[in-house]
Amino acid sequence: MDFDIIFGNAARAAFGPEAVILALAAIGLNVHFGFTGLLNFGQVGFLLLGAYGTSVSVATFGWSLWVGVVVGLILSVALAVALGFPTLRLHAVMFAIVTIAAAEIIRILIGSTDAIGLTGGPLSVSFDAGAFYDLNPYPDGPHDRYGVGTFEFTGQQMWVITVGWVLVALVSLVVFLIVRSPWGRVLKSIREDEDAARSLGKNVFSYKMQALIIGGVIGGMGGVIDAIKTSGADPNGFRPQVTFFAYTALLLGGAATYLGPVLGAILFWFLREWIESFLRQLSAEAWLPGAVADFLSGSEGIISVAMVGLTLVLLMLFRPQGITGNRTEMQLDAR
Amino acid sequence: MPDDVTPRPESAPAEAEIEPILTVPPVVGAPKPNPMLVVDDLSRSFGGLRAVDVDHLEVERGVVTALIGPNGAGKTTLFNLLTGFDRADTGSWSFNGEAVVAPSPDQLARKGMIRTFQLTKSLAKLTVLDNVLLGAPSQVGERLSAALFRSRWQHQEQANTAKAEELLERFNLAHMRDDLAGTLSGGQRKLLEVARALMADPMLIMLDEPMAGVNPALAQSLMGHIAQLAFEGLTVVFIEHAMEVVTGISDWVVVLAQGRVIAEGPPWKAIHDEVVIDAYLGRRRAGAGS
Repeated sequence: MDFDIIFGNAARAAFGPEAVILALAAIGLNVHFGFTGLLNFGQVGFLLLGAYGTSVSVATFGWSLWVGVVVGLILSVALAVALGFPTLRLHAVMFAIVTIAAAEIIRILIGSTDAIGLTGGPLSVSFDAGAFYDLNPYPDGPHDRYGVGTFEFTGQQMWVITVGWVLVALVSLVVFLIVRSPWGRVLKSIREDEDAARSLGKNVFSYKMQALIIGGVIGGMGGVIDAIKTSGADPNGFRPQVTFFAYTALLLGGAATYLGPVLGAILFWFLREWIESFLRQLSAEAWLPGAVADFLSGSEGIISVAMVGLTLVLLMLFRPQGITGNRTEMQLDAR
Repeated sequence: MPDDVTPRPESAPAEAEIEPILTVPPVVGAPKPNPMLVVDDLSRSFGGLRAVDVDHLEVERGVVTALIGPNGAGKTTLFNLLTGFDRADTGSWSFNGEAVVAPSPDQLARKGMIRTFQLTKSLAKLTVLDNVLLGAPSQVGERLSAALFRSRWQHQEQANTAKAEELLERFNLAHMRDDLAGTLSGGQRKLLEVARALMADPMLIMLDEPMAGVNPALAQSLMGHIAQLAFEGLTVVFIEHAMEVVTGISDWVVVLAQGRVIAEGPPWKAIHDEVVIDAYLGRRRAGAGS
């Protein structure tokens, strides 16, 4: 068993583009759920529109990549508005149901065979993200590697994650600035009690809509990064579990904190990849009984997701506030 | 304090404020000299139950009006209708001389009608100070465009904080300003809610059982403070179901039973009204007694 490789894989996942995407999805959810109390179960829909907006603009319409990025973000705003108008007045649970349904409807429509001409349908869509990689300052020869030991990235990967983490930092900063303001105080008051906010003259619907749009656009940015990273988009990449992974990351790190979603996303990918690599190595060990090895081999990915779920359960039991959360705040819920 | 300050005439303005209401006859629906609220034909039914059915009611400006009545009389429903938290089946009302059309709670609140709730709505995961600061009207920093830049709202926030601390001081909550509101006791939450409502600079404050669960000494000081505010021009309406407590602190009493106004008048008159006693204790059977 080679723990160097296991650790290298885990570290690469923890700081790679997947973690960036998850962090952005979780930051958006934090604005929705953590600060405003909106139970959005369709965050993946925003990522999907970010990714497909970018991909389709370039692949189908032949526009520049930058136009595509803008289109992706505009579509995220459009989804927030379309979702918000009919549903933000509803009870939190209804809102959750509508969001999860809406995200699935969009995924199924985009992935349907009727949509092949526009989105590639089930065949997925791919485009040339050259405009992005042209700006890559990292030398990207076939032997260029960045990092130490088994924790290393290629030049292209370095460029994606540099842009990605800078974006995560900027977005986190903006969220911090607006949430610590009186505007953020109104958001939190809505999370605590909508009627109290109303009785003090706050237009609750308008604030919820603003939060929905902001968190949605941040999720959309995750989708844009996803599209650029893979030079395309595939409907299967936007199944509902993406939303639940984002919730897992958010709760791991601590909801309603500023760094929680970022730390949570890093930790989520580190754990998931560590367990998967560990199991993969384990299943190759000679001393393992044949039946166990057969069971393990090929299902490492599934088992590692299950283990992350188990981690979440344990976390809820022993540290419900997440890594960075405030325990006293959590205990108020029980009163 | 220097001796040469001329003492403020203490009774003169009070008489000027209180006098007009005393000229009003204690009859249901009596017009008031200077009404803040005028309600006409307001009704609301829940299924077969007519929870509120008010023909005409006026609330005088600048005085303390108590809304009393037995449990289930429709006091809170009336509050909910007037503040836009519930929709009336029929009827209309005007606030501060302006007809209320398509009422929404936040719009009415911005116009100066602020209410509190019977079951307190303290914002548990906000600090006590933040709870009160939330009440501050027209804080620029509550607009997203200004929120990003601290310089745009910091000044206002400091002024608000000073005012909020003064209110907390008055309600014995100053020492808890940085605690989360969820850690307060029930009585303290009531006080916090009143402080938050006052922070909003209301013209009309509507308190739903402000004294329930507050210890008597504190309740006394709370109502003393409210009377002082009424003296300074605030209009106060509060709900209470115990008749005794309203006499000392209210200028006018409106009695509600089964959704209807059954009596109104100065406290010493209203609560001795035959109809009111019947409503509270049940009607004496005809012929009983002898």
